[in-house]
Amino acid sequence: MTLDTTLLAETPEGIAIVLRPAGAVARSLAYLLDFLIRFVAWLVAAGLLGGVKGVGVGVMLVVLFALEWLYPIVFELLPGAATPGKRALGLQVMMDTGLPVTPSAAVTRNLLRVADFMPVAYAFGLLSMLLRSDFKRLGDIVAGTLVVHADKVRLAGALPPAEPLAPRVPLTRAQQVAILHLAGRARRLTAERVDELATLAESALPPANYAPGGANPAPIRPGPRLIAVAQWLMGQR
Amino acid sequence: MSMTPRQFEARYEPSWIELERGLAALDAGRKARRPSAGEFPTDKAVPPGAARVAQLYRQCCEHLALARERAYPPHLVDRLEALTARAHQRVYRRHDFGLGALRNLVLYDAPAAVRALRWHLGLVALVFLLPILLMGVATWLDPHFVLTVVDARQVRMFDGMYGPEAGEHLGRTSGDDWQMFGFYIMHNVGISFQCFAAGLMLGIGSLVMVGYNGLLFGAIAGFLVTRGDSERFFSFVITHSAFELTAIVLSGAAGLKLGHAVLAPGRLTRTQALMRAARETSPVVFCFFVMLVIAAALEAFWSSAGWVAPGVKYAVGGGCWAMVLAYLGLQGRGHGRPADGESQAR
Repeated sequence: MTLDTTLLAETPEGIAIVLRPAGAVARSLAYLLDFLIRFVAWLVAAGLLGGVKGVGVGVMLVVLFALEWLYPIVFELLPGAATPGKRALGLQVMMDTGLPVTPSAAVTRNLLRVADFMPVAYAFGLLSMLLRSDFKRLGDIVAGTLVVHADKVRLAGALPPAEPLAPRVPLTRAQQVAILHLAGRARRLTAERVDELATLAESALPPANYAPGGANPAPIRPGPRLIAVAQWLMGQR
Repeated sequence: MSMTPRQFEARYEPSWIELERGLAALDAGRKARRPSAGEFPTDKAVPPGAARVAQLYRQCCEHLALARERAYPPHLVDRLEALTARAHQRVYRRHDFGLGALRNLVLYDAPAAVRALRWHLGLVALVFLLPILLMGVATWLDPHFVLTVVDARQVRMFDGMYGPEAGEHLGRTSGDDWQMFGFYIMHNVGISFQCFAAGLMLGIGSLVMVGYNGLLFGAIAGFLVTRGDSERFFSFVITHSAFELTAIVLSGAAGLKLGHAVLAPGRLTRTQALMRAARETSPVVFCFFVMLVIAAALEAFWSSAGWVAPGVKYAVGGGCWAMVLAYLGLQGRGHGRPADGESQAR
């Protein structure tokens, strides 16, 4: 069992797409934000229409209806597939196949809010989110939708430039992967930490005072040597 | 290693960049410009068209599979993953949600989906009509019976709405047409959505909600008849009830279908059965939603008009009932279009 909350959606090409379902906290915050926005919108509408008797009250109620039922559906069908609250938290609604949400799914998941709301304050919805590994509420289960973090977490970037150095011994694939991953994360870490981590791979790295030309320069720290090996593995010769 | 990451990137990066440009062009909504004379489709100025994007996407999938299999460095795999996911969304997006789809929904899919629910509809109609009948007769025999479902204050309110002093506007204590339209939309749609969503509670919720509304309606109707307000009441309800009562039964049946799927999923898992039931009932949800809006408009602007003679209202109301039943029962019959193309496509 993995601790990650990622979900794999397979495409017809046999490629697994990684989705990151959003948990109860992020979604509750998005809901609160949306609630605030709707409340303010309703206050504005009430302020504008309140003066008009009869028609004003009617339109106000229609606005209230639209804010309650149509607001999430419309925003989730627009490009970006998120209500303003979800957008602010970087969330997005999509089908659990990784595809854009379809109109019928958007309608279904939002009408079934009633079921999620029961018995009080979205208790069933929260319970469902907490129990499931994909954090779906009842409406999501029925509609086959998923609320995901739109942005991916990127731990590793491009490798820092370096003169390549061959490893001391031939490396297995797992060792190559470990070295490439650490080198990719080097920009996010302090040089001292990279050195510290690279020391663990000392047996695979060339000696500290090794140089291709045979000269004997000042010893190189393990971090730069690991990055140099990574560049060598990348194919720089 | 057959090919180093650097060679891999150098060889295939142009096709990734071309795919990125094609996706950006498609996202911007621009159609691929036809290449002008002297310009080749592969020139940088012309973004690749949809067919080329699909081809590049499949290539990109292969590259991603290779990159993962050969454990290329994470930034390369990440880039390919992001590009593939974006292209996947673009390539497999469903495109048929224009007016044509709406037309098909209204003309064929919605009534067909309603007819596909006939057993659920029958049961819900029974659960709705039986309490109306029983409660109506009970209150008619003994008006005090009305107090078993509503309290005295509400009874006085209904009495005021339909009694002799109701005057110009029937069916309301105060407020003008627009105000009541707003109120009816909020209130009626709320009831129907509850009937639908309560179906998730093994279908019992839907039946309880529908039955309770039947009791309420029967009690009030019976009570008003004993008070001698029958003409005012029935001429008020007949037109919009064609849409409203049908919508309540439809929402209850759709909810029951969901509950049924949970209880008896057949050869699917419960979740799969539920999703399938939701797909099959979504045209019904659309149908009862539209009906409720129509009902609210009729109730606010037509049913309440005291100046229209009851005879006219009965005629129009009867017409509406015939229309609604004919639409649900006959529209699109024998058209031969598969009732649920969506589930077959998947």
